Formats: sequence, structure tokens, C-alpha cells
Amino acid sequence: MSPTPLGKPVAVRGLRKIYGGVVAALDGIDLDIAPGSFCTLLGASGSGKTTLLKALAGFETADEGAILVDGRDIGQVPVAKRNIGMVFQNYALFPHLTVRRNVAFGLEMRGIGRAEISRRVDAALALVGLDAHGDRLPRELSGGQQQRVALARALVIEPDILLMDEPLGALDKNLRQAIQIQLRDLHRRIAATTVYVTHDQEEALFLSDTIALMDRGRVVQVGSPEDLYFRPANRFVAAFLGECNFVRVPDGEEIGLRPEKTLIGARAEAAEIRLDGILGSAVFTGTGYRVTATVAGRELTALTANDDPVAGLAPGSAVVVGFHPAHAMRFADAARP
Amino acid sequence: MTITDGLRPLPRPSWRRHAGWIGIAPLAVLLVIAFAIPVGSLLRLSFGEGDFTLEHFARIVTVPLYRSVLLTTLTISATTTLLCVVMSYPVAYLMATVGPRMRALLIVVVLLPFWTSSLVRTTAWIVILQGNGILNRLLMGVGLTSEPVAFVYNLSGVLIGMTHVLMPFVVLPLYAALRGLDLSTVQAAEGLGAGPTTVFFRIVVPLTAPGAVAGATIVFMNALGFYITPALMGGPAQTMISQMIADNVGRQLDWSFAAALSTVLLGATLVLFVLFQRVFGLDRLFSGGGGGSKSGEPFRLTSRGRTAGGLFGAVMGLAVAVFLIAPILVVFPMSLGSSPFLAFPPSDLSLRWYVSFFENSKWVGALTRSLQVAAVTVAGAVVLGTAAAIGLDRIGQHWRRTIETAFVLPMIVPVIILAVGLYYLFAPVGLVASIWGLAIGHTVLAAPYVFITVRAALKGFDPNLELAALGLGAPWHTMARRILVPVILPGILAGSVFAFITSFDDVILALFLTNIRTRTLPKLMYEGVAHEIDPTIIAAAGLIILVTVALLALDLVLTRKRP
Repeated sequence: MSPTPLGKPVAVRGLRKIYGGVVAALDGIDLDIAPGSFCTLLGASGSGKTTLLKALAGFETADEGAILVDGRDIGQVPVAKRNIGMVFQNYALFPHLTVRRNVAFGLEMRGIGRAEISRRVDAALALVGLDAHGDRLPRELSGGQQQRVALARALVIEPDILLMDEPLGALDKNLRQAIQIQLRDLHRRIAATTVYVTHDQEEALFLSDTIALMDRGRVVQVGSPEDLYFRPANRFVAAFLGECNFVRVPDGEEIGLRPEKTLIGARAEAAEIRLDGILGSAVFTGTGYRVTATVAGRELTALTANDDPVAGLAPGSAVVVGFHPAHAMRFADAARP
Repeated sequence: MTITDGLRPLPRPSWRRHAGWIGIAPLAVLLVIAFAIPVGSLLRLSFGEGDFTLEHFARIVTVPLYRSVLLTTLTISATTTLLCVVMSYPVAYLMATVGPRMRALLIVVVLLPFWTSSLVRTTAWIVILQGNGILNRLLMGVGLTSEPVAFVYNLSGVLIGMTHVLMPFVVLPLYAALRGLDLSTVQAAEGLGAGPTTVFFRIVVPLTAPGAVAGATIVFMNALGFYITPALMGGPAQTMISQMIADNVGRQLDWSFAAALSTVLLGATLVLFVLFQRVFGLDRLFSGGGGGSKSGEPFRLTSRGRTAGGLFGAVMGLAVAVFLIAPILVVFPMSLGSSPFLAFPPSDLSLRWYVSFFENSKWVGALTRSLQVAAVTVAGAVVLGTAAAIGLDRIGQHWRRTIETAFVLPMIVPVIILAVGLYYLFAPVGLVASIWGLAIGHTVLAAPYVFITVRAALKGFDPNLELAALGLGAPWHTMARRILVPVILPGILAGSVFAFITSFDDVILALFLTNIRTRTLPKLMYEGVAHEIDPTIIAAAGLIILVTVALLALDLVLTRKRP
């Protein structure tokens, strides 16, 4: 692989895409992706994240707006000329070609000499740890191996952007976590501008430099994982990323509170803000207890240590719930009295 | 069956353990008497009428004329196959990338030639292609040529006629293969920098090759035995093996030599059939199912629209679709003209030639006989085919495959061989002078269709329904009437449609098994077309198209209702 960063900056400007005259798959997207960064498009199905990715790749055209790569509008550039590496959800390996021929395909299209192709294919396969599998057919590999072939095939052409469409969706949980670590390490080494689509918030938090959270064809918030987790722009972001209690504080404002910042029982006594509640259930999770309590008609969740005496109380007992004001998350769209 | 048998409250009567064979027997008997014996005796003849000899085979190889007929047969069949494959790709591509309505229309366009009587098609092509035909007048009208181009009564005529009718065998499996192609595989290639040509040759062709090869095998196998098209649309240089067989029976009266040619043709056909069965499986022959991957989105057009290459493919696809539908689009309006000369488009609309058709006792008699033969055929084929299909599920597993293969053989063996074999068998016993000989022959051809459609319908029949009905105390015949038959009725009806069309359109059996008093409509048309096409023949063709289209529409309605 090339030692210099592969990536180019990407800018999306006012991108709109209407299906069937009514449904806005993309409803005015603006997004800047720094060169070499890992940007995740996170959202539920139907949020427009895959449509945006396909527009970047050139498989779908937008009705309005522009996509700029390194400052250049690529709207009229055909797919084959975009120099984009794409990893598909089902990998889309060519079933009739061996692993080597799959990886070599993009280089052959670029008219690169045979010796050079061979060298770069070797390097790409080594990068993903598949040096020994070059002569196999895709169907002879496991899902995780196929996934890595797809990655090698996308990277070997030294793309301006690497696009990945839920590439881990078809793998089981353990394998997914192992590959997430490999992906992160790989990205740190090659620093290709990467746009990654997923609906899995943990995956997004783990992998990304930047997350663009999408909903109904719009980007709701863009920021680092910490930004989105600790400073969600609105209720939707707070609820989508991690768990969130919505609490009406004494002054009437509604705030968000993460369960790990929600204090209950003895630990709440020292909190600056205290509310009266009724204990629901306490479920043991190993590292602690998941305790629920009802405050002013709303059920809240708190995570406590596994030696917290609150777990010993009978359900239905009166209990104090509290938090520190610094942990309260305030939203632009908070409901006010 | 063993597990469910064990659960039954009462032991089955011993005859019921052989019930499957009772259903299978009638069709088996018919096929032995009217298929295996005639074809077998013909094959026997090829080794000499008395002592065993190979001299007839030696003649095929040594006499240059016969060698060249074999070579012509192979060349025409191979060229037709190639044309079918090349022309099918654009149509299949178009079918895969248009909306559902347009796709349904294209499927009709592809299937219509297949189900249109060979005589109607041939007649229409001759009208379009002949020296003063529609195409030549068009070409001369726009000044592309000053003299008529010879499109027909030569190699191009044969290739046009054969490709036209055999294309569905490639288009349908190819379309299925294209739909089975994963859209993202194509997109991956594009994303890696491949242009339309590279995507087509390096991704699409290798991944759809199994579908194309399956179709091509069927085309080649069928093409080898073609008779009507080369006889009517070719010249002397395009004489194929089937014509040589007919010629030796009809004119030379050299039965042994005709038999030897038949043996060669049958041998080649069966080798291809066995190969096909080994490689693709028998089901593929009738379902047209494609390969490709199961995961991911099927190949389609995205919002980006067609690329330049895609546009080229779509335009070619449309051109081929026009080629497929042209004969029907031309001949039907033409039959509604009033001019005694064949004119297209007709200057006025009238039913004059239909009136003349129905006022002529020769045509009406032939039509009546065609309908009588078809009625007997449908009745026979439905009873025998349905009983055999129901019976097949009730016999041992290891017998099923053998029986299934044996029952579809009449669809595989070239019709000319069956025709000559039946003629050899029926002529001495006087069956040729009645409609019964022909009806028996047609039943042999049609029963396999019913057998297959009912088999397909039975696959949707849960055997537990039968057990439930029997368990509730229904006797077997009541169960069959109230449970089994209603479920498989669409299959039976679809089979009857195919049986009717098979009989109503047949020329080859009719050529051998009828005489001037018992001739059917297609035979009468054949005699006319071979001599000179007059407007009454066009009216007859229009009539056959109407009947065919009506029946196919009926079949479409029946199929749609199927659960």
C-alpha cells in the first residue's frame, strides 16, 4: 500500500433525491468529510444512508445538489471513472474468479502491467491476512474471509474514497467484533477517506472519527462519537445513540440523562438534584444492576454497581433518584411547559 | 411414506400399495404401443429388413449427397443455436430492466411464436420475405435496393424461420439467469473501472453462461429434427435430415434407409438429451430456472438510467422483439383485407376471405376434422396424463425418475421419427384412413404436457391433506373428487390447453397419418403454402392465431389463479 494518505476530502452540497415524486430519500444533505477520516452514516432503515452512499458511488443519481471530491464535482463522472473503492453488504465478489483475480480486476481495468498487478495484489492480500488463499474461489472462503477479499479488492486500486455498505451485517457477532478491530487498525495504517454505512450504533461509536446521524433523508447531527453521545442535538439523537432517560426537572424543562449518570438510592442522596421515585425492578447484569424507577409518571433506568444496596429494596419502595446538573443534556427541541 | 403408513389406523388393502402403478399403466401402455413399438420397429428396420446389415449406415457415410445433408443439418442447427443465443441476450436484458407491464408484454412476444402453428409462422414469413413481399417492397421503396433481395427459399429463410421459433428456449433461461445475477456484482465491476463491454463479457456472460448453454442445448437438439421450416422456407441446398427421411419414405419408398437416417437423428438427439439431463437436470427443461446467487438485489436498472452500452442493448432487444412479433402483426391484419392479392397494410377491412373460408367445404371439412382430432386428443391426454402424474407420487422413489424420463421422451424424439414409425405401423391396419390414427399420435405428443403440468400442480399439493381426508373417513374416490382434483385443476386445464394446441397445430403427423379424405386444417394449409399462398390460407392462418391467442389468454388467467 502507498505510504501517503490515500484519501481526498469529500463535500456533499444540498443533495436531494425524490422517489416516485413524493418520498424524499435524500432531503437536502450537506456533509463535509475530512481527508483520511472515517465517517459513518448511521441511521435506521429508510433513513437515506444507503441512498447517500450509492449516490457517492454513482449507482444512483441525485435530483439536486453536488458531490465534490477534492473540490471537483463528480456528478457527471461515470461510475467506472470515479476511482472509488466499494465494499458491498454481500461483498459482491465475482463468483467465477479466484481471490487473486477478484483483487486484480480493478488494476487490470486501469491497464497496469502484469508484474505491477501481481506485486500490488500480493501486498493487498497480505494487508488483509489472506496471502495463502489467493487461488481459492470466493465460495470456498468463510464469510469473514470473503469480507476481507472485498476489502482488499476495494483498497488495491488506491481509491479516492472507500465506501462500505454495512459490510459486517452478514457476519455473526463475535466475528463482527474481531473484524471491527481489524478495520480500525487498518484504517489507522492506510488513512483512506472512508464512508461507512451502518445501523449499528455500537459499531459506529467504535469505528468512527465522525458520525453523521441520519433520519428521513436528513443529516440530524454530525460530530465525533463523543459529541453525539454527550452533546446530542435533540431527543432523537439522544435516544438513537445509547440509552437515555427523559426527565422533567423541577423548573419544568425536559432534560436527557444517560442511565450511567442516573443516581439512585443511597448514591442519589449526595446529588445536587434529587427527585422522589418508586422502585420498579433491579436486574443483575454481572457488572452491575439495571434498576428502574418511576418518577413523576415516567420510568427511568439507572445502572449501578453490583454491590449497590438499592438492589436489596423491595419493588414498590420509595426511592430517591438524582443527578448532577453537569450530566443533564439539554436539547434545542426540548418540550417546555 | 413409511412413517405416515405406520400412523394409519387401518392397514391398507393390498391393491392400494400398487395404486400408483394403476394410474401409470394406461399412459405406459399407450406409449409402448404407439411410441416405443413404432419407433423401435423403425430402428430395427435400419439394420435390414431380413438379416442384420449395416449397409444403410454405410451408405449415409459414403454417398456424398447424404454426407452433405448431415453436414447441412449440423451447420444449420449450429448457426441457428448461435443466432438464438446472440439474439436472446438483448431481449433478456430488456426484460430484466423494464417495468412489470412491459416485461409481461415481452414475455408474451417471446412465447407467441413458440405457440403459433409452424404453418402460420412459415406462411407469414414467406409473405414478408418473398421476392415481392413486404420487406422487399419496403427496401425498394426507400431505395436501399433496386432489385428484390432473396430472403427466402435459401439459407437465410431457414435460419430466420428456425431462430424465430426456437428463441424462447434461450430467452427464458437467460432471463432467469440475469434476474439471478446479483446487481451489486455488476456494480462492483463498474466501481472498479469496468466499462459496459467489459462488464458484459467478463461478468455477465460468465455468470449467465449456464442458462445460455442450457437453452442452447435444447435449441440444437430441436433444430436437428426440424422439418416444416426447411421444407417450406429453404431451397434444395438446405435439405435437412428430416426431409431426407420423409423423402425416402414418401418418394423413394426406401424404408430401411429412412430408418437408418432416423436412427442417426434419434441417436444424436438422445445423446444431447442425456447430456442435458446429466448437466442441468430434467426440471430445468420445463422450468427455465436460472443460476446466479441468491443473496442481494436482482439485476435491474437503477435511478441512474441506462449507460451508453445499456441503451445499445435495449435498442437491440427492441429490434429482436419486433422480429419475434412481426409475422403475427403482419398476417392477422392482412387476413382482414379484401384484395385477392396479398397486401399489407390492407387497403380496406373486410371478412371476405373468412367468408370464403367458411363457404368452402374443403376448408370447413378440414377444420371440423382438426377440431375432432383435437377433442379426442385433449380427452385422451388429460385422462392418461393426469392419472400418470397422480400415480407417480405413489410409487417407489427409485422408479420415479426412470418413469418420468420415459414419459417425457415423446417431447424429445423428433416428431418426424414418430410420424414415420406410426405410418409404418398404422398403414397396414387401415388406421391412416380415419381420424383415430392421428388422434392416437397426437395423444402420444400431448399426454406428456398434461403429465408435466399436473406434476407441477401436485408439487403444491400437501400429501397431509389426502391423509386428513382419509383419516376423516372419506373413501379414496371421494377424497380425490373433493380434495385432490380441485387443487390440481389449474394444472389439468393448462395441460389441456397445451394438448389442444399440440394437436390443432400439428402438420408432421398429419402429413403421414391422413389422406385426402381425412386431412386436417394444417395439412391442407401445408399443401397450399407449398404450392401458392392465396388469401384463404391467410384467413386460415388468422383463424389459427385467434384460437391460439384465446387459448393462451385462458391459460394465463388459469395460471394467475394458481396459489
